[in-house]
Amino acid sequence: MPTADDLRPLAVDLALLGATLMLFAVDLGLPHGRKRWLGVLSSALLAGLFVLTFFVDTEGSAFGGSYVGGAWPLLFKRIALAAGALAALGSVDHVDRHFPTRQGEFYLLMMFSLMGMTLLPGARDLLLFVVAFEMMGIPLAMMASYAKTEDLKGVHRHAAEAGLKLYLISAVSTAITLFGLSYVYGLTGSTRLDVIAQAPLSPLLGVGMMLTVAGMSFKVGAVPFHMWVPDTYQGAPTPFVAFLSVAPKASGFAAMTAMLLVAFKNNREQVLSVVLLMSLASITIGNLLALPQKDVKRLLAYSGIAQVGYMLIGLVAGGSYGVGMLLFFVSGYVATNMGAFLVLEAIAPQRTGITLDDVKGLSRRSPWLAAALLLFLLSLAGIPFVVGFWGKLMVFMAAYQAGYGWLVLFGALMAIVSLWYYLQVARAAYMGDAPTEEVVPVKVTPTLATAIAVCLTLVLGMGAYPRPFIEQASAAARSFLGEAP
Amino acid sequence: MIQTISTSHYLILAAALFCLGMLGVLIRRNALVVFMCIELMLNATNLTFLAFARERGDDLGHLSAFFIIAVAAAEAAVGLAIVISVFRARGTVNIEEIQSMKH
Repeated sequence: MPTADDLRPLAVDLALLGATLMLFAVDLGLPHGRKRWLGVLSSALLAGLFVLTFFVDTEGSAFGGSYVGGAWPLLFKRIALAAGALAALGSVDHVDRHFPTRQGEFYLLMMFSLMGMTLLPGARDLLLFVVAFEMMGIPLAMMASYAKTEDLKGVHRHAAEAGLKLYLISAVSTAITLFGLSYVYGLTGSTRLDVIAQAPLSPLLGVGMMLTVAGMSFKVGAVPFHMWVPDTYQGAPTPFVAFLSVAPKASGFAAMTAMLLVAFKNNREQVLSVVLLMSLASITIGNLLALPQKDVKRLLAYSGIAQVGYMLIGLVAGGSYGVGMLLFFVSGYVATNMGAFLVLEAIAPQRTGITLDDVKGLSRRSPWLAAALLLFLLSLAGIPFVVGFWGKLMVFMAAYQAGYGWLVLFGALMAIVSLWYYLQVARAAYMGDAPTEEVVPVKVTPTLATAIAVCLTLVLGMGAYPRPFIEQASAAARSFLGEAP
Repeated sequence: MIQTISTSHYLILAAALFCLGMLGVLIRRNALVVFMCIELMLNATNLTFLAFARERGDDLGHLSAFFIIAVAAAEAAVGLAIVISVFRARGTVNIEEIQSMKH
């Protein structure tokens, strides 16, 4: 008979379930015309849950070890909840404008997806992985194609296509992961990660592992399953893209680390070559294809693929240092990329495609937005002293210590290439002439401005004082790997 | 002489189905057919799980197959809805004809 104590690792997830049901009930009772508040409410609920994570003790394991708590999953949950709170706040006006009669469902889907994301980092059983992955992925596809027929002819004319691409590649990658998992189960006789780790390696098991890891690369948007990223980012509603570009990545990396460092820890070498190839390909393809882009969202999509490549370096380096720095990199990236997309939403709320021409003259239209965009871009490029710099530096250092000096050199060279396209956006914002003669100031709504301000504070704060964050990430990584603190 | 069907026969069949599905995903252009090919891949996975479960004589494989069936059903519901939405917006479900975004 399970007791309440057994459910302790699930405290945050259960609280999130409660919050989701509460949102659902409020949605039923709220009259039309006030639905706008649902976004604010869901953001407040998620922010409350984020605060709650600092006060709960989730140590231990539930369901016979299939689900674990502790510092490592908790940090990932924190990232997902923060991303959810910011994205919900940033979505309020967009959803109110374009989907006025269907607002509640949008935030409900976001919360359901978040539930999958908070479940993933603690999962230590293949079946739980599959369910959590789908719980995270299916609502995302629904949100991407949220626009209905009337909107599909206008503002969101690419949304259906964006959703279809996200969905099809998601389904294929799920099938590939599952097929790999079926072999892992068949050859080890268990779906528990710690049992799988004890099994001797055979060629078929190696194939199963590689298929599993390859399928998971979709969730983080790494090569070879990156094809959906540019189209989906360009075509889907911008605030949703802000959410999509960061939250699933964090949880996807949590799942990948669990697979690589728990389930395959004794056969890590076999899978490592695949991860290394994915990292190299993602950095190369992402950075080079971002160069000619004229659509800023598309450019950020390719930049995101490159960033995933850098995160994978942390996974290649391995050890508590490598994955700890991966976690730090991801948390900085969440604030940065979320902020960048929210600025784009503020610039062109009536459109989903935003070209360099739309950004031109931004510094005169809104000096604050231009400054925020510049800082986010600098953080993405890895310029001192914003958070992106520390993230890249720490991951590179971990890789160097693990003996991957050439990988660090390659990554650094490609980071210089990336400067070119990031600065092209910044140049458009500061030097480019506005398309029209008169300067039209950008009107930023209070909710969106708050979300951007929080992102900016995080980027600057984590850039100025990275030490506590780095220490917390490494402590969590050590507890994850069972090393002495 | 009648040969019994061994686990490896099931595995080979499942692998063949999986590869057929994968091939279909790569070369077919109709979103609905691609969708069917994905279902084929998922069913190949089920078959593998069940074949291993039979050989091992445990329930875990059967359980996994049930989970996958449930997941596939949820996916199919959302997928078909998205295909309908695309058809309403474009009048076609051919993947090549709905490449409207710049590359």
